[in-house]
Amino acid sequence: MIGKLRAGVLYMFTGRWPSGQGILRTYGVIVFLLYSWTLLASFYKLPSWMYFLDLYDILSIYAYSFSANLLESLVLMAGALLLEYTIFLPFRDREGFQSRSVIMVIVVLACIMTRLILYRSPEKSMAFLQWEWVWWSLSLVGGYVMALRAPRSRFLKSLIDGLAERTVVFVYIYIPLSLLALLMVLIRNISWVVS
Amino acid sequence: MLSRRDFLKAAGIMASASIASWKLGSHLSAGSTQPNFIIILCDSLSARHMSSYGYVRSTTPYLDAFSAYSTVFHNHYSAGNYTTTATASMLTGMLPWKHRAYNLGGLVRSDYVNVNPYTLLGPGYSRLAFPQNPFPDRLLSQYLQDIDRFLPPSTFSLQEDHSPLQLFDHDRAIASVALEDFLMPVQDNTVGGTALFGYMNKHRVLTEPDYQKVTYRHGVPVILETWNLISYLNEQVYHGLYSELSQLAQGKLPYFAYFHLYSPHYPYRPRNDYQSLFQDDGYLPVVKPVHPLSPRIDEGYLMSQGTLYDRLISQIDEEFGRLIARLDKEGLLENTYLIFTSDHGELFERGYLGHGEVYMYEPVLHIPLIIHAPGQLTRQDVFGPTSNIDLLPTLLSIAGRDIPADVDGRLLPGLGGVVDEDRPLFSLYAAENPSFGRIRKGVMAMKKRGYKLITYPGYDALGAVDELYDLENDPHELRNLAVADSARLAAMKDELRTHLDEPANT
Repeated sequence: MIGKLRAGVLYMFTGRWPSGQGILRTYGVIVFLLYSWTLLASFYKLPSWMYFLDLYDILSIYAYSFSANLLESLVLMAGALLLEYTIFLPFRDREGFQSRSVIMVIVVLACIMTRLILYRSPEKSMAFLQWEWVWWSLSLVGGYVMALRAPRSRFLKSLIDGLAERTVVFVYIYIPLSLLALLMVLIRNISWVVS
Repeated sequence: MLSRRDFLKAAGIMASASIASWKLGSHLSAGSTQPNFIIILCDSLSARHMSSYGYVRSTTPYLDAFSAYSTVFHNHYSAGNYTTTATASMLTGMLPWKHRAYNLGGLVRSDYVNVNPYTLLGPGYSRLAFPQNPFPDRLLSQYLQDIDRFLPPSTFSLQEDHSPLQLFDHDRAIASVALEDFLMPVQDNTVGGTALFGYMNKHRVLTEPDYQKVTYRHGVPVILETWNLISYLNEQVYHGLYSELSQLAQGKLPYFAYFHLYSPHYPYRPRNDYQSLFQDDGYLPVVKPVHPLSPRIDEGYLMSQGTLYDRLISQIDEEFGRLIARLDKEGLLENTYLIFTSDHGELFERGYLGHGEVYMYEPVLHIPLIIHAPGQLTRQDVFGPTSNIDLLPTLLSIAGRDIPADVDGRLLPGLGGVVDEDRPLFSLYAAENPSFGRIRKGVMAMKKRGYKLITYPGYDALGAVDELYDLENDPHELRNLAVADSARLAAMKDELRTHLDEPANT
């Protein structure tokens, strides 16, 4: 009995564990979306930084940004894996992880980004909070339904797989850069060699 | 509810009682040669709204009482019209076109980072900094290695310090630009550089509980930090000052303590018992012409905000009075220079509310400076022109330190310097220019011998024209003499140009 239970628990954690490729591709989408957002936002700030910061200072700001991106991409990836062991647990389709996770990641980030754009000015602070729960409820329910359908829809699956496959390249670009950035942040904060 | 009459009566009695009881460190500590310095700077406090400087509303009875034992500088001007420029000028003793910290949240140019009171007073002093405003926080972060005790803006506030900046104490200035201005802004009009963390932070900040609605009808005062809103109570902040000063006084070293306090900065949120002060008192400010570049804010709204501002000033005046009484009672003012000042003022006229931008009028540039020296028992009035760049050299001179050649400021009259009526005073707004290059678009003001020039290079196409005022005969700056007295205008512009220190390579 105990042996069966142990085997069941073990299966739950190991048997459900997505394939390495599935994780990498999902992570690729996360990295692509988060880093692109940061880079795009930085282009609006760059002219003002050039007013009073030198090149080393500006590179340092990018170092802080990439370090933050690395951290939030890992948080989001952990969230995607957590979903697999919670709300997607009843679905014993291990191979559908990539489609489900990518859908959920896109829905969550699209929702965040849309809301940040729509309510960016301080005057819209109240509006930001007012219908927040409706936004999230509709988005997450919609995302969940799509995530369930995605592995079964050939069109959706090929679209997601295509996107995921192509964005993996950003992992190989941004993650080494982020590790360098993290190193730079550490050096700046443990030494007075800075500025 | 406290009426205006009740308040004035109570304040008068309390202030008189204070005068009678204050001894104000009436002697120097035996054997001590190095004095202590306390700077209490109230952000955005205009001398034009203080009864100590002739304002018709009795906003500052406690400071009036404090002035009876201090030196009052009546013509003290800021070199900048908003926090970054003004504070950098005060800390470096340099004009803005030299230190170049004139962008919003800008930094002092690296060549001059070592010119500041913390580095120059050196380890022989115990040095404390409390920048309650995020911009001085960033400026002071450049001197962190020379500051013995650094208190971030959330100190003495109603919240825990959520700022991730506390993780980056060795690189606070650049980390502050990265995190507050870019990655997780709340006040800014931009989306924020991190989508997930930025969103989570924005949500957290906006759902912070509104504290103490009972005692603050319109909410408690908040610090408009770029990525956060920090609620605070002035009572708590001034109590914090007292605690810090008590601890410093117990040390063996003389101390230098700089408190850059946020009130009466916008939003103006006085405590409930000040809410009816000055209500229906019949005061009507002089109506001034609308500035061509102003957002044309309604005069009635400006008046109501001006009254709120006056109420907040009254409240902090009371807090200041209480602090001085406690410090004096415990002998903490002995051998101490206590300096009360501001970085810049505030404007409620010409269609504009606030400070910064293109407005260089008297309510923004005229700031208070009241200094109590150890053992001073009588009032001294200085009417000669002084600038906030004079504070650093004066402190250094009193402490027996060398004054670096780069410093533009002079010794304050009565504290080693003499009155020079011919001295020109300068102020600059140049936030839209690179700090490395020539200033092509900005506003410059020069005040000399009762005349004031305001010039707007780069704004001509937008309708701004040179302005010249005779402040002695026209203290409200109503009659522009630029055309009628064109010779004086040209001469003052020439003199301004000769003082303008621009990078040679641009």
